[in-house]
Amino acid sequence: MIVLSIVDFIGRFHPVLVHLPIGILLVAVLFYFLSGQEKYKSVAPAISIALFIGMCSAIASSISGFLLSETAAYEEPLLSRHQWFGIATTVVAVAAWVLYSKQFRQFKGVMLLLSLLIIVTGHFGGSLTHGDDYLFASGDINEKPAIPQKLIPDVQQAVVYTDIIKPLLQAKCYSCHGTAKQKGKLRLDEPDYILRGGKNGKIFIAGNTGESELLQRIVLPHDNKEHMPPKEKPQLTKNEIALLHWWINTGASFTEKVTALPQPANIKSVLAALQSGKKNEEVAMSYIPEAEAEKADETAIKKLRERGVAITSVAQSSNYLAASFIAVDSITIKDVELLIPLSRQLIWLKLGNSNCTDAAMDLVGKLTGLTRLSLENTAITDSAFKQLKKLSRLQYLNVAGNTISAAGLEQLKDIKPLKNLYVYKTGVSADGFASLKKIFPQVLIDTGGYKVPVLSSDTTLVTSPK
Amino acid sequence: MTQQELHNWRLQHETQNKYLHYHTRRHFIKQSAMGLGALALGSMLGCGTNKTTTPATDNFFDPVNPLAPRPPMFPGKAKSVIYIHMAGAPSQLELFSYKPELAKLDGQDCPPSLLEGKKFAFIRGVPKMLGPQAAFRQHGQSGLWLSDNLPHLSTVVDDIALLQAVTTDQFNHAPAQLLMHSGSARQGRPSLGSWVTYGLGTENKNLPGFVVLTSGGNNPDTGKSVWGSGFLPSVYQGVQCRGEGDPVLFIKDPDGMSRDIRKASIDAINKINEEQYKEYNDPEILSRIAQYEMAYKMQISVPEVMNINDEPAYIHEMYGTQPGEARFANNVLLARKLVERGVRFVQLFDWGWDAHGDSPENAVDVGLINKCRAVDKPITALLLDLKQRGLLDETLVIWGSEFGRTPMMENREGKTMPFKGRDHHGAAFSMWMAGGGIKGGTTYGETDEIGYNITNGKTEAFDIQATILHQLGFDHEKFTYESQGRPFRLTDVGGKVIHDILS
Repeated sequence: MIVLSIVDFIGRFHPVLVHLPIGILLVAVLFYFLSGQEKYKSVAPAISIALFIGMCSAIASSISGFLLSETAAYEEPLLSRHQWFGIATTVVAVAAWVLYSKQFRQFKGVMLLLSLLIIVTGHFGGSLTHGDDYLFASGDINEKPAIPQKLIPDVQQAVVYTDIIKPLLQAKCYSCHGTAKQKGKLRLDEPDYILRGGKNGKIFIAGNTGESELLQRIVLPHDNKEHMPPKEKPQLTKNEIALLHWWINTGASFTEKVTALPQPANIKSVLAALQSGKKNEEVAMSYIPEAEAEKADETAIKKLRERGVAITSVAQSSNYLAASFIAVDSITIKDVELLIPLSRQLIWLKLGNSNCTDAAMDLVGKLTGLTRLSLENTAITDSAFKQLKKLSRLQYLNVAGNTISAAGLEQLKDIKPLKNLYVYKTGVSADGFASLKKIFPQVLIDTGGYKVPVLSSDTTLVTSPK
Repeated sequence: MTQQELHNWRLQHETQNKYLHYHTRRHFIKQSAMGLGALALGSMLGCGTNKTTTPATDNFFDPVNPLAPRPPMFPGKAKSVIYIHMAGAPSQLELFSYKPELAKLDGQDCPPSLLEGKKFAFIRGVPKMLGPQAAFRQHGQSGLWLSDNLPHLSTVVDDIALLQAVTTDQFNHAPAQLLMHSGSARQGRPSLGSWVTYGLGTENKNLPGFVVLTSGGNNPDTGKSVWGSGFLPSVYQGVQCRGEGDPVLFIKDPDGMSRDIRKASIDAINKINEEQYKEYNDPEILSRIAQYEMAYKMQISVPEVMNINDEPAYIHEMYGTQPGEARFANNVLLARKLVERGVRFVQLFDWGWDAHGDSPENAVDVGLINKCRAVDKPITALLLDLKQRGLLDETLVIWGSEFGRTPMMENREGKTMPFKGRDHHGAAFSMWMAGGGIKGGTTYGETDEIGYNITNGKTEAFDIQATILHQLGFDHEKFTYESQGRPFRLTDVGGKVIHDILS
């Protein structure tokens, strides 16, 4: 807010000012009791000044506190308690200063009263700002952040309960059905408790998902009172429900490994996601390495842009680069050379529909970070693969429309990540394709040449209702 | 009071106080005490605007090079988009939405429960139900039901994700088209293609980033505003290219003007503009200079890319193209060529799907079938051709329309129509998406047994837009443009990414 009233403004000094009387007056009390001892007699002259300054600061805090209470929102009974104790403290502080100068007899009592008031007022003030459960509440005042499901290195070897189901229950159920609380007399943090169930008895029947209350209540509409987790709590994702369903269906074992259980197609993909973490939608693109690269050389990028190369980072927050030579009229070796300083960052490269030759591939072979490479309709031959086989991270390779053969492509057999290979309109024969299929069992090899049949209905028109 | 309660209570109190601030005299006077002084101080110190934060997306617009490629917010799966819009609204009940129950009701009076409180564009009184006018079959591994009107698309169903419960609140063509493409049923907002080219620029500086191709004899009902740039800089509006004759009007130099003279005149104009820029510092002048240069280059590059004559015969056979004619198949082939050359967004409109039943051309059992025959083969060819060229995984293809059609037979002005037709129906219709990280062979959303209302998986225009932006690497809630003092989004205040259809 630009315009702040002067009253609000002064009031806001209260949180700073209150610390002065607390400190200074307590020092005065301390000095007063110390000065009784011979050793500390010399501090006695400071008591009066400490009391005076403490008194002044107490008055200032009272005023600022009053203004603050006028403008800001505080809980009522606690506020008035704090207010009146604060005023009392100030009054006693003033009295203490006056009485000390008059050498009042019962001054010890005044000092004790003063320190007591300071402590009580301070406590109320603290409760006002931090909440009255602040002092004694345990560490987890705020909602616990959801525990992210950790990635499983080899999901087939994972134990279903310990590695998949338990973390899931921990993230979504333990807060009410765990060690701290057992709502509905149900605990889900140990196999024994899970088997025992809650106040309605067993929560699931192994192998029978239809009769399992646990699942039934999870899939109820969110606004149903019986729905679990309650609608204001973090909900189970579709994948998590599928996993629970699968676990109960397959007998709800607490010891079995994933590999020992039957895996329908939908569960396979969910399990794969646990391994790869792919379900984190925002970073689903696996064409990007997980470790971040250092910043790319700006001058190298600038030189490429001057040549008409479209080069940008793959995302605003990433240093990895994607380059496309689509708008470069005639690509020279020198142009490709400009990429070399960026070999650590460059992961996607389009050199397709150009005059690139095997000579340019000598350079491309040095860009070992590449995960996607488009070389369709260029002038490369089989000897290009001698260089390209060095691209050990390649996942996508498009060599459509080039005079190449299966024998050339076979040289890529050691590129483990390779997933897509486009060989439409190349010299790859039917036999060659068969042998490629054997060498690259995991790779989707697209030979293209799709036909859309000519149907008589394509060219005739309907004139009357059929 | 716990800390949490305290927090909530304070929020509530603050809201109340805020409200009082606007209304009570006491607060006004109190505020004035400091406020007037602060205002005076502000002017003395020479404060400017109070706009301290500029959204990151503000940095997108570089007037000198407005179409330069830019990174998305996060790595997107799709790099380019082909959006195929069937203007006029094809009947989902004869294409994608298999409703055997509706066949049983054929010819019966529409039950009043379906009409209560409903308003239709043309239906009045009590219409008759109209059963599906096409046979349906299951196709592919996914077993999607498709009608016999789409024999070619049926062979590639495992590549498409079918949205069966799309819905819109508009029942007239123009506003419904605007809503689909610009996120608002009224004019003035940038279209999807404009947003995308604004966000990502384009890979090929020699071509426009956003190309529009129309067929069917008419522009869409809402006119060119459906590919307009709204409040975005005008360089992001769609460039409409024509299917026959010159692709862009006046793209050729006039007789007697050689390429050299053209170059010299553009250089001269640019020099004058540079002088002008030095005087006024208006970035739009730089934009103008850049556009002159781009136009000069496009005089060569656009006719080149828009020429489908040099495509081999088997490609023509695949798409069913006829070079030299303005037809949908040609536009689809062009769309593939453009995307291959790095164009970011290609928007196709095909007019003539408004099957009301007032003429044979507008009958669901005559005209609709003929329209299907004109689009089925090229669309299928597009998917397969993109696939074999390794482009489908980074090209998002969307097929759809502005709304669907009623399960009732239209009875305009309460009279029986001469042919079988259906009225506009926004409550439930079908669209599909393919490529660009979409999971093929999936269906999302369901409708009731006559296809009248959706039962789950409600999908609005905003959801589709959010999904398209997501696939391109944008969070639709953060992708904004500052206009008239506030940031605008394509999806306004709605939109949910349809994760169920993403691979």
